[in-house]
Amino acid sequence: MIKFILIVNKLGQTRLAQYYTTGLSINQRVALENEITRRCLSRKDKECSFLEFRDLKVIYRRYASLFFLVGVDEEENELGILEFIHCLVETLDRYFENVCELDLMFNIDKAYMILDEMALNGNIIETNKKTVIAPLHIIDQVSKKLK
Amino acid sequence: MSVKLHDLITKVRESTTTSGIREIISEECVQIRNAFRKEDTKNRPRNISKLIYIDFLGFPTDFGQVECLKLIAHTSYVCKRIGYLGLSVLLTENEEVLFMSTNIIRNDLASENKFIVALALSSLGNIGSVEMLRDLAPEVEKLLKSQTAYIRKKAALTAIRTIRFVPETVDRFVGCVKSLLSDKNHGVVVGGIQLLIEILKIEPKSISEFRKLVPGLLRMLKSLVDAGYAPEYDFEGVTDPFLQVFILRLLRILGKDSKKYSNQMIDILTQVGTSSGLNKNVENCILYESVSTILTVESPNRLRVTAINTLSKFLSGKDNNMKYVALNTLLKGVNKDSKSLKRHRKVIVKCLRDKDISIRRRALDLVFGIMNKKNVKELTQELLDCLPKAEHDFRFDITAKVCTAIEKFSPDDQWQIDTLVQVLTIGGQYIRDDVIAIMTHVTGRNQELQYYASKKLYNSLLDDRYRNQKFIQVAAWVIGEFGDILLKKSIEENESIDPSQIIDLCQIIITSSRNDDLTKYFILNTLIKLSTRIEGFNETIKEIIKPFMKHVNIEIQQRACEYFRLFEDKELLVFSFDRIPVKDDNMEKQEIETVQEDQTANENSMKNTNTQENTDQQFSPNNNQSGQGTEMNIMGGNNVVSQNKTQETSSIENLLQLDFNNNNNNQNVNKQTTNIQNQQSNQSTEDFLSDIFGTNNNPNSNNTQNVQNTKIQNVMGILGTENGMGTGRGTGMGTGMGTGTGRGMGRGMGTGMGTGMGTGMGKGMGRGMGRGNVNTQKKNPSAIIYNQDGLKIQMNFKLVSVNGIPAAMVQTIFTNSTPTPMTDLIFQVAVPKHLQVQMAPPSSKIIPANNIGKVTQTFRVIKKQNIKIKLAMMTRIQYKINGMPISKQQEVKNLPLIF
Repeated sequence: MIKFILIVNKLGQTRLAQYYTTGLSINQRVALENEITRRCLSRKDKECSFLEFRDLKVIYRRYASLFFLVGVDEEENELGILEFIHCLVETLDRYFENVCELDLMFNIDKAYMILDEMALNGNIIETNKKTVIAPLHIIDQVSKKLK
Repeated sequence: MSVKLHDLITKVRESTTTSGIREIISEECVQIRNAFRKEDTKNRPRNISKLIYIDFLGFPTDFGQVECLKLIAHTSYVCKRIGYLGLSVLLTENEEVLFMSTNIIRNDLASENKFIVALALSSLGNIGSVEMLRDLAPEVEKLLKSQTAYIRKKAALTAIRTIRFVPETVDRFVGCVKSLLSDKNHGVVVGGIQLLIEILKIEPKSISEFRKLVPGLLRMLKSLVDAGYAPEYDFEGVTDPFLQVFILRLLRILGKDSKKYSNQMIDILTQVGTSSGLNKNVENCILYESVSTILTVESPNRLRVTAINTLSKFLSGKDNNMKYVALNTLLKGVNKDSKSLKRHRKVIVKCLRDKDISIRRRALDLVFGIMNKKNVKELTQELLDCLPKAEHDFRFDITAKVCTAIEKFSPDDQWQIDTLVQVLTIGGQYIRDDVIAIMTHVTGRNQELQYYASKKLYNSLLDDRYRNQKFIQVAAWVIGEFGDILLKKSIEENESIDPSQIIDLCQIIITSSRNDDLTKYFILNTLIKLSTRIEGFNETIKEIIKPFMKHVNIEIQQRACEYFRLFEDKELLVFSFDRIPVKDDNMEKQEIETVQEDQTANENSMKNTNTQENTDQQFSPNNNQSGQGTEMNIMGGNNVVSQNKTQETSSIENLLQLDFNNNNNNQNVNKQTTNIQNQQSNQSTEDFLSDIFGTNNNPNSNNTQNVQNTKIQNVMGILGTENGMGTGRGTGMGTGMGTGTGRGMGRGMGTGMGTGMGTGMGKGMGRGMGRGNVNTQKKNPSAIIYNQDGLKIQMNFKLVSVNGIPAAMVQTIFTNSTPTPMTDLIFQVAVPKHLQVQMAPPSSKIIPANNIGKVTQTFRVIKKQNIKIKLAMMTRIQYKINGMPISKQQEVKNLPLIF
């Protein structure tokens, strides 16, 4: 299962963090983020996208200035997670239209919603981009009407 | 006035310094707090969004937790959405605030708006605590049957969390899972499959029931594989790879150990497993999953060979990700197919030199996995070749693997020594401590090897390049122990070594400031041993030792003083530093069995001990001859406790432990003396303390001879006059060093685990200790003191006697009936003032699931005064299940033990 999903920029600043049952306190999370980010950022392009850290396996992928890091346990299919990251990025891209770091920062709630639609409790649930975005569009329409 | 989130972010981004950012944030936090205090409901969602941002920046945001609750209690969806988001970001699953949200979530789960229900489900699924999940399980079950697919899929995943945390709710969901699998919506099926996998983990017995689903799953997989272009689920030409992967994973579990169902899978697995792939990540991802499935289920040989070949294709490709997963999979399937694996050995070995550390690590594990007696020479050489170029951390891994290989797969003794010396010389500083034990183990066998090893080590020691501490220590021990053989045989072979050269070398090493204190202990011992093995150097050695009698390190000082004194009694000296007895493997086994039977605290703690710590102790040579096996055991036991703790617990506990040790020094000394007495006359009950330094008047029931006993007491006498027993030993203990005796060393080594036995005399003494230390009584009552949430704690009591005062030896057994292992176990005991507790570390910190194994922890309760009382105690148990920390306190009364 997935233990956490992190989006950080190339300076190592967290832009989105979702944890699933890691039992870590907030402070431990910050320490973990720093350590993992530092290690991933220092790896070269040609090296594989997997990093073993304590009892976790971190699978990461870089998109322009953003790093997507997913911590998983032993059972997970590493290549599947890579594909999931790609799917997440494509979905974000479709919703935000050319997603960039600022989109995530200014619309953090939407970004979380997309993530929640795709994964829950460390398990992948929906990978159909249209289905993922549908509820967001409904909400957007309703809030436009309200205004 | 409240700033918009957008403006706050812009402001932070404009600030160039960290202190600037900190200022902006603390200002903003004040604003937000004020708004919260004024119950500013209008801006509440905005404030929470800002707090989420602030949280990412790493600032404390706990003051917003209660506000999140207020938001989710709001009727509007917009507020609820932000509230639930805040809940999952700002809170961890352990927060008490979370529990207050239970009722709000319950209401939301019953909402008519599917988005609100989905929010509540997501939140419960992401951060729900055990109590919440237990309370809300019926609601989740109801939602699994909802009309809306959107709700069903989320409910399925929330159900996974529910059964993972509250396993007893599993029955609720077993019924619904089948209908989920036949759902039309892919999301629901994905959820259903994952739920089923989780159910099978908790209820492995229900597998036969679910195996009936195999044909349906196979049909589903086939239709996905054969499907043409399906725009909805298309990933670069593959239809819903995620669903395919999940089906393959479920098939793997269902087909394992079942020939019948595995056979049904062959066709489709062949189709998936032989598809071209190797270009796109999506294709590889399915191929990878199918290979794992083929290797796990009962598939025919040809299919396995194809699977392994696919992996070797992965391995020889350029993509590092593929290499990694291939190594990983080979590692998992390594036992079953080692034959077909052998063909790919070259490729695997090549990966050891890859530039990527992740791949090298995997390759190292795999190389070790395929190692056996036939290929060990070659593969170990490969590992050693990698050693000088590897980075710091990785070197430790390599040397550890090499050492294990030397122990486990060695084809011949000479190779063992050669390789040991090689790994010591090139990677000595990265080696774990038990390498010394391996060396003594090997050299213990015969004289030829002893000569070979000492000559080789001596020659290497002459070379300055190799002088790392670990290497010097091993060399010093071997040369000291077999110095005479080295000299004698070298003369026979006409390569005579000048004994004065050896002594000079020792002097150079011991006086060099480059060498640490531990090495100096070893050299001191080498010198004193050489004095008994080589004629005519006593005066030179005395001169070398003399300056160390004023050494700043108390342990060195003590040793030097005591050794210097020992020169006065030649006979005693020779006796003290006699050669270690030859180790007998069969004897060792017997001894270990005995130890297990006896199960005293000492033995337990020693069994559980990390070998590394033990060797240190066994080889920290001790001048004083007295205690022999027994004493070393007692002391060893105590040291083990403290040292083991050092590794596992925080430094504070460590300090406490040391402190505890020091406080008990005197008592320990007493214990030792009692033990000597017991050892000498197993049943003797008279108080030996008063006349320990007197003549020996106890009938000797062991195979120790009387002469030796007198000598033992002589040495004790020397010690007594030299610097007082209590203090002398006290330091030894406090520093956790120097407790083994010259002979004890040999025996400790015998078992390699510090049980301090192994050979002839040692055996008898060891037994003596086992019984002598603890006068076992026949009645051994037991009680179950705790049985909740799947954790059962049983205590077995044993009345023993410490210094004539009765004490209770309590063996605590932990078992876990839940399907998830419990980790980070900490068990603490507090007793009333007039009692005292000495705890040994637990056999493991993890209690395996499903009652598969148990964890034992032994402690001893000693009375401070000799009055009759009933044992009562306060216990605290802490553990983590699924990462959730759980802590329980319980008073234990009415124990079936009066002492």
